Amino acid sequence: MSNIRSLLTSKPVARSFSIVSVSRKAACSIVPPVHHLLKIDKSKLSPRFEGMKYNKDDIRSPSYRPQDTRQDRLQEHYLNTLQSDLLLINYKHNATVEKGLKNRQWDGTSPYQVNRPLKKPKGSKAELPDLHPIKWNNIPGLKSVTLNCYVRDARDNEMLTISAALQLQQLTGCKPKIIYSKSDVPNWKIRKGHAMGAKVTISGYEMSQFLNTLSEIVLPRIREYKGISKTSGDRFGGISFGLNEEEVKFFPEIDLNQDLWPKTFGMHININTTAQTDQQARTLISSFQLPFESGNAQQS
Amino acid sequence: MSATAKTVLSKNVPIRANLILSRIPLVVPEQTKMEKQYHEYQNQLERRLMWTFPAYHYFKKGTLSEHKFLSVQNKPISKVPGVWYPKGIPDIQHGRERSKVQEVILPKSETGEGTNLTRPVEKNSIVTPADESGNTASLERRLRNTLYLLVNYKKTGWNFPKFEIKDGASLDIIAEDGLRNIGGENMNTWTISKKPAGVVKNKDGSCDFFIKSHILAGKFDIAKEAKNEIKEYAWLTKEEIQEKLNKDYFNETEYLLSK
Repeated sequence: MSNIRSLLTSKPVARSFSIVSVSRKAACSIVPPVHHLLKIDKSKLSPRFEGMKYNKDDIRSPSYRPQDTRQDRLQEHYLNTLQSDLLLINYKHNATVEKGLKNRQWDGTSPYQVNRPLKKPKGSKAELPDLHPIKWNNIPGLKSVTLNCYVRDARDNEMLTISAALQLQQLTGCKPKIIYSKSDVPNWKIRKGHAMGAKVTISGYEMSQFLNTLSEIVLPRIREYKGISKTSGDRFGGISFGLNEEEVKFFPEIDLNQDLWPKTFGMHININTTAQTDQQARTLISSFQLPFESGNAQQS
Repeated sequence: MSATAKTVLSKNVPIRANLILSRIPLVVPEQTKMEKQYHEYQNQLERRLMWTFPAYHYFKKGTLSEHKFLSVQNKPISKVPGVWYPKGIPDIQHGRERSKVQEVILPKSETGEGTNLTRPVEKNSIVTPADESGNTASLERRLRNTLYLLVNYKKTGWNFPKFEIKDGASLDIIAEDGLRNIGGENMNTWTISKKPAGVVKNKDGSCDFFIKSHILAGKFDIAKEAKNEIKEYAWLTKEEIQEKLNKDYFNETEYLLSK
């Protein structure tokens, strides 16, 4: 039974009410009263690709990668010290759920308003999430880090994206993806579908390792580093900042092999957290020793 | 609301600010046997599934450094036609047997001692001199645990540092100033929040609020003015605090302490 299930894709086909089937693709049902049919993924029917049947976290799958390979210093510090501190810092007396902006109902004065999509919220293009008080179960934590390396010169020389990907792989130990331009921008001489750089998303031990290197080795070596901009943030707990091509050279992976790196590339670092606001995210990230811009630093 | 607040104030209930001053762990906690074995197993799996080391990237072809590197590597068994291999047919890519863990050996310098990269890591002992001598007043003990400051009052015995509220100052400022008064100016501390982390209501109607703070640098030393009320002080782990504090009091404050 479970083997049959694994052959089926999880997305059910839309139920057709006519007798003639709409979808001509092979589909079957595994529950006797046929309510809906499930498509068959034919590549999984072949006995040649046994590993394809399993999820990525199944050890029989060829794309399985072990996760907890060693003790994680940053994670231990977070669990032991930071979590309880963050809970206390973010505590508010008598806190309640703060409703975010939501779509508004029509007033019902016109018959044309029936079945019309709801009005957009006032002062926002989209609905905003609710703000829940911080409790033991939603303490801000790190989710992932995305390194994004956009190479402008790649519009003339696509091979530069490969060097950019290599740089990211060297810094993180994870396999990056090449990114492509999404649209034509004649002013910037960019064509749609052209390789323009590389990016990689890291989490778990690799993320901790990268953040440790960044805060302990790279940032202290940058001259007159002012810290992450105070205005950085996507309003929902994501903080991003950048390193230019000179600052990237301070990573020990590149610093120890300078002959191999005639050209380095600047990159954006996006830190995704489970914080609900930027303020919470800044508190969290600064507790990992990443400095933020402050008024005092500029005076001195 | 304001009326009730006034009545509480007029009763003149003694309120105290207690300071939980902690030194955070300096080293990762010890793993259990189970955790160690699990990590070891996962680590070996990862090493088997790891990409082949791209020696061609680090050592240019035909250079002396490449020759040095290749000469110290363990050569895998190569595949020869017509030979039966009992442990499976060799599958070699870039000098690595793909079904096995790759061991990359870095060449040592001519003097025999390793370079900065190949030098073996020598770990310092986790047991410090303060651990060996049982000196609880030192901050450099029990590196794996969080240490908390406990003070032995001549009147009431071992307790967290306690300070009476006065002049309507806020709890965190009273705790900070009080700590300087009893322990000297020679330390850097960081109060986590102005909000108290907990409260204990005593039978006599008094309230003990707990302010959390970390010590970042410096040393706690009993000040001259405080010597008539404080006998001694100690930096203790949670387990050791349990022995020193009275049982009910520990049960009420236990949740504020971490291992």
